[in-house]
Amino acid sequence: MNTLSINNIKKSYGKVDVLKGINIDIEAGQFLILVGPSGCGKSTLLNMIAGLETVTSGSIHIGDRDITKLPPKDRDIAMVFQSYALYPNMTVAQNISFGMEIRKIDKAERKATLDRVAGMLQIEPLLNRKPSQLSGGQRQRVAMGRALARDPSLFLFDEPLSNLDAKLRVEMRTEIKQLHQRMGTTIVYVTHDQIEAMTLGDRIAVMKDGEVQQFGSPREIYDNPANMFVAGFMGSPSMNFIPSKVVNESGKLGVRIEGGAGEFVLPLGSAEERLQSRVGSEIVLGLRPEQITQRVNEKMNGDNTRVATCLVDVIEPTGPDTLVFVRMNDRKVVCRVEPESAVDAGNNMELMIDVSKAVFFDSESGARI
Amino acid sequence: MSNAIAITITPAARIGRILVYSTLILAACFYLLPLFVMLITSLKSLDEIRLGNLLALPDEVTFDAWQIAWSSACTGVTCDGLKPYFWNSVLIAVPSVFISTAMGAFNGYVMTKWRFRGSELFFGMLLIGTMIPFQVVLLPMAQTLGMLGLSGTIYGLILVHVVYGIAFTTLFFRNYYVSVPDELVRAAMIDGAGFFKIFWRIILPISIPIVVVSVIWQFTQIWNDFLFGVVYSSGDQQPLTVGLNNLVNTSTGVKQYNVDMAAAIIAALPTLLVYVVAGKYFVRGLTAGAVKG
Repeated sequence: MNTLSINNIKKSYGKVDVLKGINIDIEAGQFLILVGPSGCGKSTLLNMIAGLETVTSGSIHIGDRDITKLPPKDRDIAMVFQSYALYPNMTVAQNISFGMEIRKIDKAERKATLDRVAGMLQIEPLLNRKPSQLSGGQRQRVAMGRALARDPSLFLFDEPLSNLDAKLRVEMRTEIKQLHQRMGTTIVYVTHDQIEAMTLGDRIAVMKDGEVQQFGSPREIYDNPANMFVAGFMGSPSMNFIPSKVVNESGKLGVRIEGGAGEFVLPLGSAEERLQSRVGSEIVLGLRPEQITQRVNEKMNGDNTRVATCLVDVIEPTGPDTLVFVRMNDRKVVCRVEPESAVDAGNNMELMIDVSKAVFFDSESGARI
Repeated sequence: MSNAIAITITPAARIGRILVYSTLILAACFYLLPLFVMLITSLKSLDEIRLGNLLALPDEVTFDAWQIAWSSACTGVTCDGLKPYFWNSVLIAVPSVFISTAMGAFNGYVMTKWRFRGSELFFGMLLIGTMIPFQVVLLPMAQTLGMLGLSGTIYGLILVHVVYGIAFTTLFFRNYYVSVPDELVRAAMIDGAGFFKIFWRIILPISIPIVVVSVIWQFTQIWNDFLFGVVYSSGDQQPLTVGLNNLVNTSTGVKQYNVDMAAAIIAALPTLLVYVVAGKYFVRGLTAGAVKG
């Protein structure tokens, strides 16, 4: 089966280490996302899987085939590029059939594959057009069609949606996901967009500076970030980081917060044991915006929630929710509240803080506690 | 780009417009006048030239001078007109243009899409090649041709023009291919195409504008070349420019201005034709990549 396994892959250009030992294993049919800020090495890694760049050390396997040193054409892969890279001199049909023609597949089969792919992507009316006569979304479809025609054991996507406008991007995102559900082929997908990563992936590898910071399912990455970088990178608006002091308040541990309208102590929930040794020292509390809401009495729960009054700096209505900006320990903090309960800027607001999913980081290293 | 915008023209703007156009027309006349004189002189009889005004239209149009210039004017000892020289020039120019353009395209492809260690240095050296004046290479090239046994032949001239032209054609193609996205080549590699197939099937078909530029440039250079022609060829292997020179300088009796003019126009016609046929590609190709969109 077409599992993908990347073992201790390294890449250096001269003395510059671009990738510092990457290990990723995914099962057949999984959708792997490589996500990270630009320069993190995610595209380099993808190009190495494609065979477009050489590997300094380590190995890559598809199924039980070692493809580390194979040329791209022998790897049984197909790739969709950021700029689509459609051949401008060929029609859509020729673009899709080019690979099959090179591999000397006979005409009848070529035609059948072309028809199947065109039908799947609904591009039949475009087959005789040149790429220059297509819109961005259509080009994107043709580029995917070219990859689909190959029927590979591994699909590679290099930021395929980044050249589309926002609306089309969301549409194509859904389409790619549907396509994956229908085809069941293993996919490696590079993006810098954390929403794409969350929505598409079965497995996400968050990368930074040539290293995988965390590798796991979207849920794990979101709820259980390994460090401050991952926590801050995934999620929008991003996680609030509040430097605060661990205190012992009449036998119970908590973190002290100053919210512009007086001090309060947040309980630690399930993290209490792990923070035992940190009493009196500074840590960083990580709270996602949706964990700070208006007061909802039914959700009040003695150990995990705390209501606190804070001074509202700014509010930003987004429609479904309103983002309320307050300050905690002199840090800007975003809260996601129901539009009806948001108060105007300059007033105090009663906020309910749910610490059941709060995370804590070492203030020096940024590592999770 | 053809945005038709209605502008109400003020009197001041109109005067400006008139000034601009009259200057342009004047400049055009200035440059066209010699051609006009050549053309009418070539169509006059010798008597009329002697008696008439330089700028006057011919009383009686005659193509005798063209006939003589083409097939019977004397160029030194032989009197076969420009015809043999013309075909020599064709035999020199066509293969030289073809070979230098093909090699330039190939070089450009390698130097942009398959860079190797030192390819930038290589390109820098080629750039210097475009700056070397003809005169500097005359002697070493003569020696080289001698060693190769190609002295005084059409093949020798083809070699000289190809060698000299590669620097220019490589520059053209390299600069054109720099703006061709590398992803195109990568996509073709994943599709299974190799080095030559990518060049032939993907790169070359999108190179038409720059091929036209290269062909026009090289053809003009080679067709109009006199120095290499006069130095490296002899006897019945000489190009048209040398033939024209000989024809005009051969003094047997009366100076036949009408024949000289006809001969000069014949010599210039092929380059004119190339510009007329492919001219619009020329500008397009030279400015390609300069502006996005």
